[in-house]
Amino acid sequence: MTIALSDLADLAATAEREIAAAADEAALDALRVRYVGRREGEITKALKTLPSLPADQRPAFGAAANAARERIEAALERRGADLREAALARDIAGGAVDLTLPPRRVRVGRYHPISRTIREITRIFAGMGFEAIEGPEVEWDYYNFEALNIPPGHPARDKFSTLWVNAEGTMEVALAATGSGRTIVDAGRKQPMLLRTHTSPMQIRVMEQRRPPVRVVVPGRCYRFEATDATHESVFFQYEGLAIDEQLSMADLKGVLYSFARQLFGGERRVRFRPDYFPFTEPSAEIAFDCFVCEGSGTTDAGRCATCGGSGWIEAAGCGMVHPEALRRVGYDPAKVQGFAFGGGVERLAMLLTGTPDIRLFHQNDLRYLESL
Amino acid sequence: MPSLRVPVSWLREYVDVRVPPSELAERLHMAGMEVDHVERTWSWENVWVGRVEELRKHPDADKLLLATVSYGEGRVTTVVTGAPNLATGAIVPYAEAGAMLFDPHAGRVKALEPRKMRGIVSAGMVLSELELGIGPDHEGIMLLDPAAPVGAPLRDVLGETVIQLEIAPNRPDALSLTGIAREAAAILATDFRAPPLEPLAHHLDPSLLTVRTEDDEACPRFTAAYLTGVRMGPSPQWMQQRLAAAGMRPISNVVDVTNYVMLEVGQPLHAYDAERLSGHLLAARLARPGETLRTLDGVERILRPSDLVIADEESVLGLAGIMGGEDSEIRETTTTIALEAASFEPRRTRRTAEAHGLSGSSGSAAARRFSLDLSPELPPVGLARAVHLLREVAGATLVGAVDVYPRPRQVPNVKLRFSDIGRVLGADIGRDEAGDALRRLGFAYAELGDQLVVTPPSIRTDIAIPEDIVEEVARIVGYDRIPTRQPTGVLPLHERHPLEVMRERVRDALVGSGLQETISYALVDEEWLSRLTPDGSPLAPEPLRVTNPTSAQQAILRPTLRASLLDTASRNMKTRRGLAIFEIDPIYLPRPGDLPEERWTIGIALAGLAEPVREGETWLTPERVFDVLDLEGIVDALHRATRSGRGTMERGAPGLHPGRSWRIVDDGRDAVVAGQLHPRVAEMWELPEATFVAEVDLALLLASGRPNAATAPPRYPSAWRDLAFVVDEAAAWLEIETDIRAVGVKGGLEDVALRDLYRGAQIPAGKKSFAVRLTFRSRSGTLSDADVERSVGKIEARLLHRFGATVRAS
Ligand SMILES: [Zn+2]
Repeated sequence: MTIALSDLADLAATAEREIAAAADEAALDALRVRYVGRREGEITKALKTLPSLPADQRPAFGAAANAARERIEAALERRGADLREAALARDIAGGAVDLTLPPRRVRVGRYHPISRTIREITRIFAGMGFEAIEGPEVEWDYYNFEALNIPPGHPARDKFSTLWVNAEGTMEVALAATGSGRTIVDAGRKQPMLLRTHTSPMQIRVMEQRRPPVRVVVPGRCYRFEATDATHESVFFQYEGLAIDEQLSMADLKGVLYSFARQLFGGERRVRFRPDYFPFTEPSAEIAFDCFVCEGSGTTDAGRCATCGGSGWIEAAGCGMVHPEALRRVGYDPAKVQGFAFGGGVERLAMLLTGTPDIRLFHQNDLRYLESL
Repeated sequence: MPSLRVPVSWLREYVDVRVPPSELAERLHMAGMEVDHVERTWSWENVWVGRVEELRKHPDADKLLLATVSYGEGRVTTVVTGAPNLATGAIVPYAEAGAMLFDPHAGRVKALEPRKMRGIVSAGMVLSELELGIGPDHEGIMLLDPAAPVGAPLRDVLGETVIQLEIAPNRPDALSLTGIAREAAAILATDFRAPPLEPLAHHLDPSLLTVRTEDDEACPRFTAAYLTGVRMGPSPQWMQQRLAAAGMRPISNVVDVTNYVMLEVGQPLHAYDAERLSGHLLAARLARPGETLRTLDGVERILRPSDLVIADEESVLGLAGIMGGEDSEIRETTTTIALEAASFEPRRTRRTAEAHGLSGSSGSAAARRFSLDLSPELPPVGLARAVHLLREVAGATLVGAVDVYPRPRQVPNVKLRFSDIGRVLGADIGRDEAGDALRRLGFAYAELGDQLVVTPPSIRTDIAIPEDIVEEVARIVGYDRIPTRQPTGVLPLHERHPLEVMRERVRDALVGSGLQETISYALVDEEWLSRLTPDGSPLAPEPLRVTNPTSAQQAILRPTLRASLLDTASRNMKTRRGLAIFEIDPIYLPRPGDLPEERWTIGIALAGLAEPVREGETWLTPERVFDVLDLEGIVDALHRATRSGRGTMERGAPGLHPGRSWRIVDDGRDAVVAGQLHPRVAEMWELPEATFVAEVDLALLLASGRPNAATAPPRYPSAWRDLAFVVDEAAAWLEIETDIRAVGVKGGLEDVALRDLYRGAQIPAGKKSFAVRLTFRSRSGTLSDADVERSVGKIEARLLHRFGATVRAS
């Protein structure tokens, strides 16, 4: 059977029609083989008749066959693309999943609120030039009390109900140490050992080791002989700050603490500065923030606010200008340098930051509480 | 801190308080007198502010009046009264029937009832101070402020407010009503009125009373008065009311006067029955060996030679400034008293009170005061005030007084410059303003140019240095006058502390591994330590003990984190089925004669279910308990995050499962101890068998760290081969891996990954098969197949040689 030149266009048209109607890739492949297959395809078969044609008809027939092939291949291409597109659309349509199902969970770790708060504190003070350092929790009586103007029998010791340790030792006090450029070591002083009642001993230790200017912040664990309740713990954390320079004043102290409060709590929290007493600062002050539970009113629906004791204020830190006697003790000259110190409770801040209602939650480590943060 | 209850009505006797009590409290607080709280007493139900509208004579009694009283909202009543001080228009307290009032005739508080007086019924009553219970006056009706709103509840106008103050221990002068009144006067810029004192001429016939101090350091001043004609009895109602409002129990007129004066001026006093003083002597001296004393609380006490006592010729009468003895106590029959007002050295008083268990809030009130630096100027004041009151309330007659004060204490003159105020405060306080503040506080001062010489009032024993003066000025002008400023000047060079940096990195890494951080008590129960090994043998060195623990549960400084971790895990496993926690804290290791080493340690605990992460949610992940490989993975992640070295593993560690635990020892010290908890230990803590702990020494982790060394991505492609081989069950993976790496490194071996571990039918018993993927790469070019085959061949030979490994077709 031979194909006439005139039939080629019809062949192409028929092929195009069939291709357009192909239902799937398999049907399309069958059509490809039938029309443009290299061995048995209609076009190939047509071209095989070429040698039998008169020479002058050959170019026209060849051109027509090629044109028909191109038309068919283009149709195959189009239909193929359409079929793939349709298949993808079908896949996508059928591939929807219920996104509200519980996901593949990832174990999420969390920081303890105390360590997170300490990080915040040290980060904020670092921004104001305060270097974070740490000191021993088990301390000599000398650093915890004596060097801070609280000799044995001083009434201020009552405020620091102390836990004592069943050991004593010989302390080498670097009296008037490197701060003055000279060192007088008072070796062999028998000293009772205690659990530090505040982070303030580090004021002395730092000044013994450094010369002004000094700016440090010291977070750490402290201990008191104290019954625990919603706002008191026998083991707790404090942060201590110390800055010594030629001309630091109460105004700088106030500025640093107000800035700290602002960075920690934002500008909305009200701050109050009032006189207080500490043997190792003069003048002394206390800084307080308005209570986050009663919004400073002192009362809640249940009556007197338990968090602030009805005052509307939460004491955040004790502070003041470093006592000249403490400066002299470490070999600084109070006529040339002065500075300020502050110390506050980490838990208070953590309670304010997280809304934790009871200080005992921090040490209980109930994971249901910790995971709620 | 010493506390003081200040009834505001009592305070008004010494200072005009022209602001509401709540504002007074606020201003005291802001000036440094810490207010603990403010409370209202005397609710005075059914008592109103009334106005006398009309006054008529009682038709049947000359001395009685009929007063028509209006008390708001159209309420009008008529009462019968004998008061001489009423006038039309007077504003008075009016009580309706039912009001609880003090009845002077009955001597107690009773509910008011309507009563008939000479034929006319009084429904209510206009009241005196005494009936209201706020003062001694019963002569006339209490006249209220003419501006008081008629018809208002009396408590709104006059209700008693008690301000509870916490007084700083350096301010014993403020531990009294007059002390607070002085403060209030300075704060409110008004005058202070001292209470009336009896003039005391200091001479007294020694045959009546001799006063001696044998140790003028322990007792710098000793004043005393000798009074006769004392009529013992209850103290007047107003005094009892004030004492009660201030928190003291009324006892008898003489005792009440001593307490009243202590509260009023701050000087404790002691009254002796003068007729019982042997040798008519009051001596302050140290206790003698073997002396005993039965104190007022009924306790027989053995005195210590360092105890200061008050004694007569024969025996000890009392612990000086702390508590009197039973023998010399005044009693109902006493008519002659010797009244002591003295100064005692605070530290000795404190030590003695502590030694005899009489310190603290439950101990002696006098001792609490004498433990502070009370001014030696106070005793004569207290004495003169007490004599005045004893004359008034006990009919006493002063015979004479003595004052032994051999070495008067100098009041310091404090020199400073005006500019010091600005230098310390950073605030601009004018000279006039500073001077005014000092004057209001009763400080005398002289100006010499910029120099200022300040003399504090003698009772202010806390003032010694220029900074004290600066604080006084600041208190009065207000701390809100101090501006806020940011420090200027040279910033000190900052340092970073590697251990602390490392600690934060570890914290981040463990949180990143999905662990919950915990912080537990550094003080623990010693019993816990015996529950860390199956046989109770110690795991850690002997701990440091707290001498005075608050409880047995917090008696030792923990020498290991493990007990805390197990406790935390155990308590939490009662409410959940799986947990993964860590804690980074010091452990405390005693060092002889020195502070303990505080060794920062990382503690990790895993227990129960590892998966699913959310309990019960098994639709994607079936339940799986933690195993030791989970723990190894976390420790591995920790090493990677901190770029620390791993050291050499030794199998087994105390308290842990011998076959599923390991330790890494570095320089004779445990760098890492980790593994599954020994099943017996797990049982003791009520923990699941699948409980795993790790303890890592932070300092050693830091020491083994390698510096950061970035590696650029390789330039040439890698090639890989899979290899499977059979070895004895005893062969440890780590050894095999180490060997493969050692042999392969020359041939470009980059990595060894374990693909499979197989035991079973296809290999002999007692053997196991490892399947590994070996990755090769050269830094200088693309490896040929021949290169790779050669390397694999060498590795196979080595495995055969070292482990007898037979290669399986893979
Ligand atoms: Zn509150």
